[in-house]
Amino acid sequence: MTATLTRADAEDLLYREALLLDTGRFADWLALFTADVEFWMPAWRDETTTTQDPDSELSLIYYKGRRNLEDRVMRLTSGLSVASAPLPRVVHQVTNVLVLEAADGVAEVSAAFTCHRHDVRMNRSDCFFGRYLYRVVDEGGSWRIARKVVTLLNDTIPTVVDINSI
Amino acid sequence: MDVTRYIDDRPEDGAFRVNRAIFTDQAVFDRELTRLFEGGWVFLGMESQAPAPHDFFTTFAGRVPILVQRDGEGHLRAFVNSCPHKGARLAQTQAGNARLHVCPYHSWSFDSAGRSKAIKWQRAGCYSAAFAQDEHGLAELPRFAGHRGFLFGSLSADVPELSEYLGEAAHLLDLVADQSAEGLELVPGQVTFTYAANWKLQLENCSDAYHFTSAHPSYIRVLERRQQEISADVVASVWESSDFWKEEAQGVAGGSYSFAHGHVLNWGIFGVTPAIPLYESAQVLAERHGEARRDWMFNMRNLTIFPNLQVAENASSQLRVIRPLGPGLTEMRTWCIAPKGESKAARRQRIRQYEDFFNPTGMATPDDTVSYENCQAGFAGTVNPWLQGHARGMTASVAGGNRFSDVLGMQPERSVLADAQLCDETLYHSYYRAWAARMAGGDGA
Repeated sequence: MTATLTRADAEDLLYREALLLDTGRFADWLALFTADVEFWMPAWRDETTTTQDPDSELSLIYYKGRRNLEDRVMRLTSGLSVASAPLPRVVHQVTNVLVLEAADGVAEVSAAFTCHRHDVRMNRSDCFFGRYLYRVVDEGGSWRIARKVVTLLNDTIPTVVDINSI
Repeated sequence: MDVTRYIDDRPEDGAFRVNRAIFTDQAVFDRELTRLFEGGWVFLGMESQAPAPHDFFTTFAGRVPILVQRDGEGHLRAFVNSCPHKGARLAQTQAGNARLHVCPYHSWSFDSAGRSKAIKWQRAGCYSAAFAQDEHGLAELPRFAGHRGFLFGSLSADVPELSEYLGEAAHLLDLVADQSAEGLELVPGQVTFTYAANWKLQLENCSDAYHFTSAHPSYIRVLERRQQEISADVVASVWESSDFWKEEAQGVAGGSYSFAHGHVLNWGIFGVTPAIPLYESAQVLAERHGEARRDWMFNMRNLTIFPNLQVAENASSQLRVIRPLGPGLTEMRTWCIAPKGESKAARRQRIRQYEDFFNPTGMATPDDTVSYENCQAGFAGTVNPWLQGHARGMTASVAGGNRFSDVLGMQPERSVLADAQLCDETLYHSYYRAWAARMAGGDGA
C-alpha cells in the first residue's frame, strides 16, 4: 500500500528541506534523498534555454547518486575549504508549490525559490532565484527526493554558489 | 608611466618584485584597459562559435562590445557591436544567425559583411553632402586573425602580425587543436562568474602550481575518499591516478615555459591514463603525431595567451576568457573545450570532471576565487608594498627550452624543469615584462 502525494505533503517536504539547509543540518538534509538521486542544476545554453542533456552538455551541477552529495557536504563542512569557512548565512523561500503529477508512491512537484545569502567573510549579500522540479517517491512510508532539478535564473555566479545556496 | 614603480625587475641581483598597487590603482587599471585590452591582440572566441554562413557571436575587447560575424561567403570579420548612427549596441544576443542586423533603435540595417544596407527614410532626411561622405557600415576591427580555430582581434592597428604575437606559444594551441582531426568545439552550456579582485590574480593562479595542496585540501580529501570506494556513481578524476599533488613524488614532474609577449605554460606529467577522456584516442594520436607529441597531449597543461585567454587541461579541459571590470572586479567566461568527434562516454567523463573541478558551483574554483578576494583585501596593506610571490625557481630558470619542448619543436624564451615541490614562480615574470613593456612610456612620464 503506497500513498499519493498531496500538496500539503509536498510543501512539508520542501519546506523541511529548506530549513535543514538554512540551519546547516546537512546529514538530515542528505537523508531526504534516495541513494540513486539525480541532482541537477543545468547551465544556460543561450539567453532562453538551459542545457537539456547532462551527458552531452554542461551543467552547473550534475550528480547521479547521493554519494556525490555526501562529498559536497563533506567539503562544505570540512573546514578545509576557504570558500566554505565560515559558512555563509542562507535562507530559502520556497513558494508556488504545485503537484504536477501524482500516482501511487511517486509524484512530480514544481516550485519557485529565492535564496538570500549573506557572505560574512566579504560582508556581501546576494539573492539567487529560480525554479525547482522534484520527483518524489514513497520509500518505506516516507517521501524521499529521487530527482531534483534546479533552474537557476540569475546564473552569473558571484564568486561561488554551493549546494546550500540554491 | 614609470613602470619601475610597479615592477622591480633586476635579473643581475636575482630580484623580481611586483608592487601591490598594480592590483588596486584605478589609473593603472584604466591604462591596462586602453593599452592591453583595447589596444592590442585579445582573444575573441572560437571559429566553431559561428560555423555557418551568417552566424555570429558577440564578445568584448575590454569595455568595447564586439560582433564576430560570418558573411554569406563564409568570410569571418570582427566589428564593434555598435550602430554608427547613435552608438546603440546592435546584436543583442551571445550568438545567432543574421543575414541582416537591424538596429532596434532607429532601424539602420547592416548585412552580414558589415555594410550599410539601409538608412531609414534616407531620401526624406535632408542630409547634407558631408553625411554622404561618411562610411555608414559597421566599424571593423583594424586587426582580426585566427590560429587553428582560436580567433583574436585588436582595436589598434599598431600591433605585430598575430603569428608573431603568438610566437612559439602557438605550438601549445596546436597541441589543443591536434587532439582531433575534426578540430575543437565548445560544449554547449557556458558558465559566467565574477570575483571581487583584480584580473591579474586569475592570470597568475592559472600558472600557479604552488597553491594546489594549500587551497584545495577539501577537494583532495574528496579524491581520497573516492579512491577508497570506487563505484560507477562517483565522478572519476584524473588527479586520483596522478602523483602530481602528492608530497612524496620524486623526479621531474613538469615545469614551466615562458614566451615573448607574456604567454606562459605550466605543465606536469600525468601519463597516458584512462582517467583522461582523450585515452580512447591514445593509439590514433600516437600514430598521427608520434608518441612524444601524443604524450604531451596527456600532460597537465595550463596555458595563458596574454592577456585574456587561458586553456587549462588538467582535471578536464577549460577555455577561460578574462574580462576586467574594475581594479577589484573581474568577469570570467568559461567553457568546456573538447575535441570534436569523441565518444559519448568520453564526452560525459570530460563534462563530469569539468563540473566538479572548474565550475564556480564545483569543488575547486571557489577556493581559488575566494583566495583572490583575500589577496585583494590584503593589497590595501602597503607598509611593505612589494610582494614576495614571484621568486620561486629563480635559480632554476634557464634561457631557451629543454628536451621536453624540443619534441614539440618549440623554442620558449625561458624554461624551468621541476620536481613536484619547486612550483616555479618565474613564469609570472613573462606576464609582467610584457605588461611593463606595454604600459611604459607614451605620456611623458
